[in-house]
Amino acid sequence: MSLHPMYARPRDLEQASELLASLSSGAVIIAGGQEIMPYINYGVMMPDVYVDIGGIDALRGVSAETDEVSIGPLTVHRDIQNIEEIVETLPLLAYAAKQIGGGMQVHNRGTIGGNIVAMHPLYDIAPALLALEADVELLSEKGSQRMSLAELQDLSNHGLGTSSILTKILVKPMSPTTLWGYYKLKNSAGAYGSANAAVVIQLDGENIKSIRVAIGAATEKVVVVSANLDSYLGGPYSSEVGLAIQKTCSDAIGEPLSDQQGDGVWRKAMAGVAARRATEMALGKLNNSSSNG
Amino acid sequence: MEDLLDISALIQLRVDGQFHELDVLPSRTLLDVLRDDLGKKGTHLGCKTGHCGACTVMIDGKVAKSCITMAATLSRAEITTIEGLADDDGSMHPIQQAFWDEAGLQCGYCAPGIVLSSLELIQNNHNPSTKDMEVALAGNLCRCTGYQSIKRSVTEACVRMYPEEK
Repeated sequence: MSLHPMYARPRDLEQASELLASLSSGAVIIAGGQEIMPYINYGVMMPDVYVDIGGIDALRGVSAETDEVSIGPLTVHRDIQNIEEIVETLPLLAYAAKQIGGGMQVHNRGTIGGNIVAMHPLYDIAPALLALEADVELLSEKGSQRMSLAELQDLSNHGLGTSSILTKILVKPMSPTTLWGYYKLKNSAGAYGSANAAVVIQLDGENIKSIRVAIGAATEKVVVVSANLDSYLGGPYSSEVGLAIQKTCSDAIGEPLSDQQGDGVWRKAMAGVAARRATEMALGKLNNSSSNG
Repeated sequence: MEDLLDISALIQLRVDGQFHELDVLPSRTLLDVLRDDLGKKGTHLGCKTGHCGACTVMIDGKVAKSCITMAATLSRAEITTIEGLADDDGSMHPIQQAFWDEAGLQCGYCAPGIVLSSLELIQNNHNPSTKDMEVALAGNLCRCTGYQSIKRSVTEACVRMYPEEK
């Protein structure tokens, strides 16, 4: 901690990586700053060095290939919502980015990379990306490494820190026949969710061929529910199946969070409700009174 | 690598049309620089957590919360504050006049942020729906005026800014 911190703005990834490796501790990486500035303003974080990665071009840009969409971590939420390649290939991600709290001001400056590396349980990007089975690419002094976002989440307890830099988010494009839904249960427009559920479904005719649910804001880490839902495969969706999915997803919540967004018992219950409503949204069955727009 | 580290950062800002070259300490916010260094007191400090939106300004034409924007990260930027909207002769911008005429502000503390968020909305969408306004203003809290007169002011501002489209 320092009252007189230093500042560095590396020009490229190599320089940033070398710099971070040379700093023993007390450094933070900053780009949009929307995650860490509140902590700095209130003295919760007092870094010795700010490493500003905002000038590194390699961390910008989106490219959509047939088999993979690559998203630069400096892409701001507003662009995730609007860039044509993302809206067309990853509509679930574009929709989830719209649900991020803080208003347009935060959407204009906050980056997808910052949202991911913060590993904050209430954030909206991770459930969408985990439902889409996204990968991430990281750069550390050991070199570049690709892993699934699920694996990164398992490895990290309180964010990514400065041991490595997130360099790419890699997602398989959604097929046009993939159905998707995202439901954020929240108290007011700009608020954090009490339960955030992302759902990806494939149908075979009327029958459910596959379903994958990722639930955020209910536990310390986003919970992915997939294998537990196998018993609903092969049959059509009905309100009974919806309630059963709700129960299965609620049961998957081990130790629920208990904070300003609601107490644990309620959060566990709402995790299931959000999952059911996201499923109904995917299937076009969510009525308007319970829609969160 | 040591030579990359500095105790401050040199930034170039064009604020409300005026160019400034500033040497800023890291961890100072854009809000600090605007209010304390440049005297732009129209940009208000509310929460310092990014929740209330009273500190909203435009960075390169897009709204941002200046209290959670680190000034050092803006190596070159164009900033518009509420003080940059009026004409040189002091006459108000049509959106300011619409807020005045439609009672879109009471105590006025949130007003600079609300006006700038509304301005970005109107510039991108000349005929916003109520839902569009709610989305655009989700990052601005008002505790006394009430959002009904704010929405009325936004609608009136659209008429005044783009009369040919009405």
